[in-house]
Order: sequence, then C-alpha cells, then structure tokens
Amino acid sequence: MFASDARSRLTPWFFVAIIAYRYSLHERTALMAELLQIAAGNLLSPIVMFFVLGVAAGYVRSDLTIPEPISKALSLYLMLAIGFKGGVALSASGITSMVVLALTVAIVLSLLMPVIAFSILRVVTSLDTKNAAAIAAHYGSVSIVTFVAATSFLDYRQVHYEGLLVAMLAVMETPAIITGLLLARRSADASSGEQEPIISAQVLRQVFLCGSVVLLAGSFIIGWTTGDKGMQLMAPLVKEPFQAVLAIFLLDMGLMVGRRLSDFGRVGIQLALFGLYMPLIGAAVGMAAAWAIGLSVGGITLVGVLAASASYIVVPAAMRLSLPQANPAIYVTLSLAVTFPFNLVIGIPLYHAVARLIGPA
Amino acid sequence: MQLHAKKRVEIIVEASCAPTILEMIEATGATGYTVLHEVSGKGHRGLRAESNLTDVFSNVQIIVIAAEAIAHEIVSRSQPLLQNYAGIVTMSNVDVVRDDHF
Repeated sequence: MFASDARSRLTPWFFVAIIAYRYSLHERTALMAELLQIAAGNLLSPIVMFFVLGVAAGYVRSDLTIPEPISKALSLYLMLAIGFKGGVALSASGITSMVVLALTVAIVLSLLMPVIAFSILRVVTSLDTKNAAAIAAHYGSVSIVTFVAATSFLDYRQVHYEGLLVAMLAVMETPAIITGLLLARRSADASSGEQEPIISAQVLRQVFLCGSVVLLAGSFIIGWTTGDKGMQLMAPLVKEPFQAVLAIFLLDMGLMVGRRLSDFGRVGIQLALFGLYMPLIGAAVGMAAAWAIGLSVGGITLVGVLAASASYIVVPAAMRLSLPQANPAIYVTLSLAVTFPFNLVIGIPLYHAVARLIGPA
Repeated sequence: MQLHAKKRVEIIVEASCAPTILEMIEATGATGYTVLHEVSGKGHRGLRAESNLTDVFSNVQIIVIAAEAIAHEIVSRSQPLLQNYAGIVTMSNVDVVRDDHF
C-alpha cells in the first residue's frame, strides 16, 4: 500500500516544487486573476457550453439526437483536420532530434501510465484484476476529442504548439493496450496453464486499422508531404469551420455522456473519484516529461492533456475482445462520463495554467 | 406451391463479437446469412443502443436459414463464443421456396 501511495504522491509534489520556484518570480495577484479569467473563459466558450447542453438534454431524455452517419462524418472531419494541420506544422519545422525524443516519450508514457493506474486501482478499490487492467489501459491511451478541444483552446488564445504533438497523439493510442493486457495476464497465468498470444490478430487488426487511426495518420502524412501548398488548398475546409464543427460534435458527446449518467450506480464513488484524480496524476507525469525535453508552453499543455485523457473509442473495442470478462459499463462510463468532462471543463485550462508557470517564457 | 421445411437461427449479439460468430457460421457449411445492424433493446446487460462512438454498446442481428443438422450445429457452437457477451439465440421452423438455396 505504501509503495503505490508514495508513487502517486511523489509526482505531484515534484511539480508543486517547480511551480513554487517559478511562481515566486511572478506577480502573484495579477497572474491568479488572469488564470481565473482563462478558466472562466473556457467555461463560457461555445464548445464547453454546447457540451453542457448535450449533457443536460441527454440526462432529461430529450429526443434530441444527432443522426449516427452525421456524427460519424463530424468525427472523421475532426481526425482529418487535426492530422492534416499537424502534418503541415511538422513539415515547416522539419524532422529534428526533438521529434524522435518526443515520440519516445509518448510511447513510454503510454506504456507506463497503465501501470500507475493499475497499482492505484488495486489499492483503493476492490476491483478484480481484469476490470482494473481494462480501466488502466484506457488511462494510458488517449482521447482524440480532448486533444482536439485543447488545440482549439490554445488556437483561440493564439498559443503556439509543436506540430509533432499530433504525431505523439497518434503513437500514444495503442501501447497502453499491450500494457493493460499484460497486467491482466499476470493473474490469469497463475490459475490456468494455457498460453494464448497476448494480443490476437483480430485485436491487432482492429487497433491498427481502426478508421480513426488510419485517417489521423494518413492525413498527417498528406499534410506533412504537401506542406504549406497543401494547406492553401485545404484551409477553407480544415481551418475555418473547425471550431464550429467541434462544437456540434461536443453537443453529440454531451448527449452520450448525459444518457450514460444513469450508469453511475455501477461505477461507485471510489471509482468515480479515480476518474477525477487519475487525470491529474497523468497530467503531472506528462507535463514533467514534456518540460524535461524542452517543449513550448503549448506543447507542455498538450502532453499534459494527452497523459490525462482516457480513450473511449479504440481501447473499449480492443478490451471488449481481449478481456471480455471486464465490464464495459464501468470502463466506458468512467472514461466517457467522468474523465472526459473533467478534462474538457477543468483540466485543459488547469494544465495550461501550470504549463505557463513551468514552461519556457 | 411446393415448400421445403428449414430451420431459421437468429442470433442477436453485440457488434464486437459478430465477426467471430459469422466466421463460425461459415465454418459449419451454412450457405449464407443476413446481418441487420443497429439493433437496439434492453435486457440482462441494460439498455443496448447507442453506437456513435463505440461498438461496445451496440447489437447486430444475424439470421441464418439452414438444414436442421447445420442449424443445430450453429446453435451449439455459438454457446462457448457467447460466454462473456450479450447474446440471444433462437431457432424456429420456416418454409422456404428454393430448397437448393439453403
């Protein structure tokens, strides 16, 4: 118990130390006022307000729905736009040693985060190994929509971020699944002697050929290859309508979250709390790593968001096939109805505020 | 008109498990199947409907019409595959027009 407690306590304290050091250099009151303003500004942005509208409408069982094919098209648009923009940004900066370093950090974060989540879950909840491992995998992977919302938050404030962040997003999606399955297997081996491959061909295909991953990676490569010329051509589609489309998509996300709120009973208070503090731990670890390799303020914010967010598209599908004994009502509700709203409303401005305190001026 | 007695097996299963079931159906030698997507309802696993983000909460309906022996084979082979998944398996009698198609 003490070992994993210490682990989860150490990282935030390391952070507080850095913040305290940097903080003393600033004018405190003016900064606090500005941070509060940013947080309030985020709350009153159309994106967050449409999300809240969706949650409310879903919760009261309004018949408001966004038809499935349209919702799918909106999500494809967001993947295409974010991938393309990231690719163009990377083509401008070129492949540097920073890119290699950042991608390595991303993979390590995704592999490592489930171990932290799993240790905490085993200590503070009575969940069995399979459920704990399935949840842990979700928290190592990332939420593309949270990332997209965070880039829109930064764009709105004209805060620059590196194009390689989109590449980090793409590589962080899957390593966590492998860690999650290894964690689940640890206990299974003791009881049964049979050896199956850790990850089946079907799951591999599903994870790597998942539509969102293919489109994100493909658009990134197209953006990277065509650069600024490509952007001139694509800008009317990928730049101008981006914020508005994101707002509509978040209305739809809100509706799904609102309808899932009735599943809270199955999650329980201990787990719901985990869905709130785990993103903070993740963000602390991620931002410390981003700060260490020397990313910009925007970059530190986004790595924080990536490490804090939990998957609800790729990982649930993979877990449903690989760990069918784990309860999807728990892991999807936790990442979709607890962690996603937390990150969207509170997390993003919070991580950005911390990034400004610790990041390069 | 001459009609021929066949069995109709219906399997409502969660979407993520459907490929496994379809593979099994083909392996039994059934000549074909029909799949209806976006099937919703409520049962042991609560409300099963939404599908905008993830397949985890959506169901599909698989219909197979086959000779009796194959139909029984499909039903019995489906059970171990459905152990941890939402699934409803039923079999009923139907008459078909084209005997050689099933």
